Amino acid sequence: MSAAEPPVDMYFEDFHVGQVFRSEPHQVTEDDLMAFAEVSGDHSALHTNAAYAATTQFGQRLVHGPYGLVRFFGSLHDSGIVDKTAIALLDTNWTYHAPVFVEDELSYECTITRCRRTRSGDKGVVNRHVAVRRGDGVIAQSGTTSILVTAREDLAVAADPFGLDFCGRRWATELMRRLNASAEFSASCGSFDGTIGLRARETETHLRIYRGKVIEASPRTPLGATFTVQATELTWLQHVSSKRNEFMERALRDEFSVSGNSYEYLRLTKGLMLIWDAARAMAQETIR
Amino acid sequence: MIEAQYITLDERLCYVESCGSGPPVVCIHTAGQSGVQWRETLLGLSQAGFRVIVPDLPGHGRSEPAAGGPIRSLSDYADWCIRLFDALELKRPFVMGCSIGGRITLDIATKIGDDLAGIIAMAAKAQSGGYFSVAGLERGREDAASPSRTDRTYYGTIAACGRNVSPERVALIAAMHRREDPEVTTSDLIGWFSHDISASVSSIRCPTYVVVGDDDFWLDLEQVRWTSAQIPNCRTLVLEGIGHYPMEEMEDFPALAATWLQNLSEPATRSAGGQR
Repeated sequence: MSAAEPPVDMYFEDFHVGQVFRSEPHQVTEDDLMAFAEVSGDHSALHTNAAYAATTQFGQRLVHGPYGLVRFFGSLHDSGIVDKTAIALLDTNWTYHAPVFVEDELSYECTITRCRRTRSGDKGVVNRHVAVRRGDGVIAQSGTTSILVTAREDLAVAADPFGLDFCGRRWATELMRRLNASAEFSASCGSFDGTIGLRARETETHLRIYRGKVIEASPRTPLGATFTVQATELTWLQHVSSKRNEFMERALRDEFSVSGNSYEYLRLTKGLMLIWDAARAMAQETIR
Repeated sequence: MIEAQYITLDERLCYVESCGSGPPVVCIHTAGQSGVQWRETLLGLSQAGFRVIVPDLPGHGRSEPAAGGPIRSLSDYADWCIRLFDALELKRPFVMGCSIGGRITLDIATKIGDDLAGIIAMAAKAQSGGYFSVAGLERGREDAASPSRTDRTYYGTIAACGRNVSPERVALIAAMHRREDPEVTTSDLIGWFSHDISASVSSIRCPTYVVVGDDDFWLDLEQVRWTSAQIPNCRTLVLEGIGHYPMEEMEDFPALAATWLQNLSEPATRSAGGQR
């Protein structure tokens, strides 16, 4: 993998949200396919029998889906960046969009979507979004995976940047401060008595609003959110990084989804747009 | 000078503005909006030697609502336009429309294409479908189910404008778009999502421009290209950095439209380029 300046031995502090790593293309070989069948024990005709595969809708043998996933870790090793600093793989959520065949070239694009130091202070969790692109440009697979990484310094969580820690505690507190300084926001929700929930992957914050003021920002308010707007961390990152506030398009494309009281959600259209403006301003000040 | 007239059509008064002399060009507005969208075109294109005719569709702008309630079929709008052409005694007009107006333009051309000098269908396609469901729009026709409609039109319009348009111009377009009757707009959108002339679009015989902005998220470029590929005498134009409302977004639109109309009057060579 290569970043702008390929770092060696990246510690927790060396990662930041929005960082992108791109691998060199890797060509899938006949040997890879057969070796993967051997290691996984999946000798299905779909993967190993060319005569049978010719009769399927694909017309040829399919490379095992998980091969595309495991090669991500190979590309990570090739880059060398966490060979000595990685502690553990924490999770993998993966989607298979399109088939991969022998001789396809796979490239990996890895975007850092969250960096959060653990309470112990000496290590941190780094969330990554990974897209697997075939040589023809089609994204064949994508997903998210988190890794626990050694920290360079043993520090308190409060020392880390939070402008892109979407829906995190300090992020929400700063968002609340900005919203309460805005007369326009206050006017936009002056008739609202309820709670707006914002969620990026599993991280959620509730903005308790009464007569145009955010009176509390916390992970959970007693009555719960009136409605919650949610998206993946990658979508949040793209949303705060784009040139203009594209929430209307993203909502139409279902990149953001809403649960709860949809009437109040529609009623607070302007208030939400101002929340995005505040979150985007906060992000722009953080993006290096 | 702009001439204004109220014409009785289908037992209701409809409002039509005209300006200039020369070959007639009828301009059809977008969903929920009115002929005011063509105000710069009306002035600029008439100075370029065309007679520009801008109606407000039934229930829009200064035209009275349709007798049977808001129209929900773009094909019905097309039939209404054809009756309007007759009432105005237009001889071989050009027709230019945008969004639902663009699709109404295509629909008109499938019906009376031989009697048209040419058409410019902007932000248009032949196929049905899209982001919304008709059932959801049906619910939204009730005012009680559709809160903050004005804000949503405002921000939705901003979202639909292209990246090359100045923020000031975008804000003006969005402010103008707030002047709508939500029930009429929603009925228009039902028309947008259900209208389908993919079986008849290939019957269009008049010279045609299909024009789309590359920032127009309402349209799938592949569907637009498919549409233009069905029409024998068709030029396709992709406008860089422009969204769903070229005649409002582009300051030089009247001059461009004059060029396109000139080209439609000459024998066509098929082009699929992105030239302006």
